[in-house]
Amino acid sequence: MDDLIRDLSAQEYKDGFVTEVAQEYVPKGLNEDIIRLISAKKGEPDWLLEFRLGAFRKWRQMTPPQWGHLKLPPIDFQDIIYWAAPKRDEDRPDEIDPALLETFDKLGIPLHEREVLAGVKPKGGVAVDAVFDSVSVTTTFRKSLAEKGIIFCSFSEAVREHPDLVRKYLASVVPVGDNFYAALNSAVFSDGSFCYIPKGVKCPMDLSSYFRINASGTGQFERTLIIADEGSSVSYMEGCTAPMRDENQLHAAVVEIIVEKDADVKYSTVQNWYPGDAQGRGGILNLVTKRGICKGSGAHLSWTQVETGSAVTWKYPSTILQGDYSTSEFYSVAMTNNYQQADTGTKMIHLGRGTRSRVVSKGISAGYSENSYRGLVQMGPAAEGARNYSQCDSLLIGSRCGAHTFPVIRNHNPHAVVEHEATTSKISEDQLFYCTQRGIAPEDAVALIVGGYAREVLSRLPMEFAVEAQKLLSVSLEGAVG
Amino acid sequence: MDSEVYIIGRDAVPQFLRLDAGEARSMTLVVPPGTSARLGLEIDLCGPGASLDLAGVYLCNDAERVDLRVLVRHSSGGCTSRQLFKGIVGGTARAAFDGLIYVAQDAQKTQAYQENHTLLLSGTAFAESRPQLEIYADDVQCSHGATTGYLNPDELFYLRSRGIPEAEARRLQMAAFLAPVLSRLPESLTEEIYAGLP
Repeated sequence: MDDLIRDLSAQEYKDGFVTEVAQEYVPKGLNEDIIRLISAKKGEPDWLLEFRLGAFRKWRQMTPPQWGHLKLPPIDFQDIIYWAAPKRDEDRPDEIDPALLETFDKLGIPLHEREVLAGVKPKGGVAVDAVFDSVSVTTTFRKSLAEKGIIFCSFSEAVREHPDLVRKYLASVVPVGDNFYAALNSAVFSDGSFCYIPKGVKCPMDLSSYFRINASGTGQFERTLIIADEGSSVSYMEGCTAPMRDENQLHAAVVEIIVEKDADVKYSTVQNWYPGDAQGRGGILNLVTKRGICKGSGAHLSWTQVETGSAVTWKYPSTILQGDYSTSEFYSVAMTNNYQQADTGTKMIHLGRGTRSRVVSKGISAGYSENSYRGLVQMGPAAEGARNYSQCDSLLIGSRCGAHTFPVIRNHNPHAVVEHEATTSKISEDQLFYCTQRGIAPEDAVALIVGGYAREVLSRLPMEFAVEAQKLLSVSLEGAVG
Repeated sequence: MDSEVYIIGRDAVPQFLRLDAGEARSMTLVVPPGTSARLGLEIDLCGPGASLDLAGVYLCNDAERVDLRVLVRHSSGGCTSRQLFKGIVGGTARAAFDGLIYVAQDAQKTQAYQENHTLLLSGTAFAESRPQLEIYADDVQCSHGATTGYLNPDELFYLRSRGIPEAEARRLQMAAFLAPVLSRLPESLTEEIYAGLP
């Protein structure tokens, strides 16, 4: 069993390559001039520059949160390049650099619309907004989506073309001063995705964003804003990878989701940032604020996340259930190996009457890693008849890792019900024996058992994502089993 | 084994306990109505085979402030701990339960369970529950559960349809809710608690 654990630690991170492409940077460090420079490079209107400067001033007054069950390496915020982008070819400014196309091809992200349109790939595909370091490379299927009135583009384009929408909703769910990293993001955010689904429209294809960090010494600070107007529905997916480096790179994103009356948003993430090597060197520091609001009655927001990467994950996708009878779910698989640390969970804030939420969290820790679930379920005084059910399971693989559960339940309403349960266990010798004596190799047996353990969450993912996630889980487990 | 009973506000309550190998201890904490309290209790299971059976009940129907913090630390492997805390919170009372099960590295074959259930009786009352697990060993069975809720209207209807007056029916429901803890107490104390139910 011990050998098996050792083998598992010797895993490969297959997306760890670097793309050789000419890039331009802003100077290292962070001050008001840098922010002005970033804003000027993006040709932003004054109100947005003011927004950034206001956030920066607020950020300087703030201190990083210390309550996570994490050992964060010290971050020197003056030693980060806040904006990096691949250079455009002067002669052909509208074409995408073939090196970038190749990169996304290698990552399995299709940026070619025509193949799908020509029927080479199965129909009903996925529209992709591909973000490379600080800029969006391309957004596919914009035209066919626009026919339905759906706006799906990079954040920078949204600022140019739909300033009213951006201005109305930006920072309406995650205020600038929400937390240290959200304030930092508000000051320096580069690109990200913007998505607006008009009234009553069901989005005909899955929308997705793919984030790639490439340049060294940089951080990625993307901002995503999703607005689902009355009665609309959309399924949104997010993926991410980064090269293997000995340095820690910072990723501080903000995602805001607004779900109006009777709208339905499904947000899925497969997070596969570089987790650092087996000795815990390098890796992405993933410090992310994600929050959605169910504004109108009957709104529905569903979070599904598979977290396998990052040296440090600090992430709590949350829902504010404001509309009466709105519902939300949070399904999570968080897997840590070697020296990875994850502190992740959700917040369900029930404000409206009859609101319902469900939390299913599956943590898997192996090697020397630390994996925590941290959650809040709050029932406000007006949340008559609200309900929550949370289930948090932890699976420990090896005796040098940690698995923790830190839920908080706050109830202000005598007609609300909150239920929480958590268990901690390991893969039993019996289960392994059963599989191995039927000729299943121990590694496969562990992958099988872990797959079964995580199935409830994986089954919520869109199909292509589920296959990918299953693969990721078994790769991340490689060398961990004992 | 009889349970040691501590009534908060009347008895001196230990703050730190150490259970050595093979030692078994059963304790019940009672926070009677009208008592505001902040209580910290830390129990260390230091030798293999130690076992702890801890229960508590808190009754706050007026304007009490009750804050219970329990830390059960499994420093040694092969120990068992079981916790059951039940509370009824009404009026403008605020009650918080913060319970941490800590399992040290290599404390294998640990079994630890924790339950916390709260009934909320009024819209001005507030209940908080923080059941926590911090686990550094893999061959363990640990679980916790927490609920907050209210008196089941179906049960109430059942009782009333059989001619039991509403106030009486509610008291029966509360008595049933508390019964798993109250059954550990001497009869005189149980009667006193029944009589004090709102």
